[in-house]
Amino acid sequence: MGGASKWGAFFMNIMVNGNKHDHTGSGSLDTLLMELGAKPDAVAIMVNDQVIPRADRAGITLKDGDCVEVLSFMGGG
Amino acid sequence: MNVDNKFILGGQEFQSRLLVGTGKFSSVEVMLAAIKASGAQLVTVALRRFNLERPSDDLFSPLVRLGVTLVPNTSGARNAAEAVRAAMLGRELSGSRFVKVEIHPNPHHLMPDPLETYEACKQLAKAGFIVLPYMPADPVLAKRLEDVGCAAVMPLGSAIGSGHGLSTAEMIKLIIADSGIPVIVDAGIRAPSEAAAAMEMGCSAVLVNSAIAAAGDPVAMAAAFAQAVKAGAAARQAGLMAQSGHAVATSPLTSFLAGIPA
Repeated sequence: MGGASKWGAFFMNIMVNGNKHDHTGSGSLDTLLMELGAKPDAVAIMVNDQVIPRADRAGITLKDGDCVEVLSFMGGG
Repeated sequence: MNVDNKFILGGQEFQSRLLVGTGKFSSVEVMLAAIKASGAQLVTVALRRFNLERPSDDLFSPLVRLGVTLVPNTSGARNAAEAVRAAMLGRELSGSRFVKVEIHPNPHHLMPDPLETYEACKQLAKAGFIVLPYMPADPVLAKRLEDVGCAAVMPLGSAIGSGHGLSTAEMIKLIIADSGIPVIVDAGIRAPSEAAAAMEMGCSAVLVNSAIAAAGDPVAMAAAFAQAVKAGAAARQAGLMAQSGHAVATSPLTSFLAGIPA
């Protein structure tokens, strides 16, 4: 479960691409992407199986236990 | 009948009738150079989980800089529901309405599932996508996919990555004869001559990936495919001569030599 970290900031346990991830940011998708080192323009995002349109990203606040999928393009025919 | 002067997909005209895929290249640099050499304007990409170990991997930005239109595929989807979700994610990322529907549940032969493909196409066309289905070379299914609003049909020449060329040629001819939308051969092509043959048959375009990516020199092969597709399309428009079951002489057969003393 999430809570207050020793740094005083909130952290939460979420799943990112099937792996446990301790998120210490504000819970916004932008801070999560920054944490992961992902370029915001180069990824698509699902939260709890819902596709998040780019325009709606800013309005999302993650909560403990959320499952996030971050997807990007790779080579394909 | 199909070969129009213009190649139009989803209301957009394209000069190049060669679509290329981005899989199997040895590096991003080779891939970009090959795409440039191919002259392709439509380029397929696949969607995968972002690599948390290698966050700097980015195929998207260089492709955008190249100025091509991205066609995300739904590879990895095993059914219509997964394909629809993959298409929505692809659209979020690419900003393009194009989608290549690709549902092949069996990794051994990668043959498209006709029922799930049909269902996915129906939903995606309704949702405003420009739908390009990878499909078995089946004229009945092709017509059904046209009826639900696909922008083109993409019958396979032979199994994906097999390099067995146009083993379905006769079926593709039947599809072309009946089709009111562009027919694009997708999968199986190995040699530029096969791409030219597909165009001579009346295909509107061809999609090539492995034949370029796995060639000895992918960039040179991409250029060769560009020429072959242009030649095939030009030949189709010029009109191939009629075939005959017997010889038809090209030189006069008058026996004038018989009258000349030896």
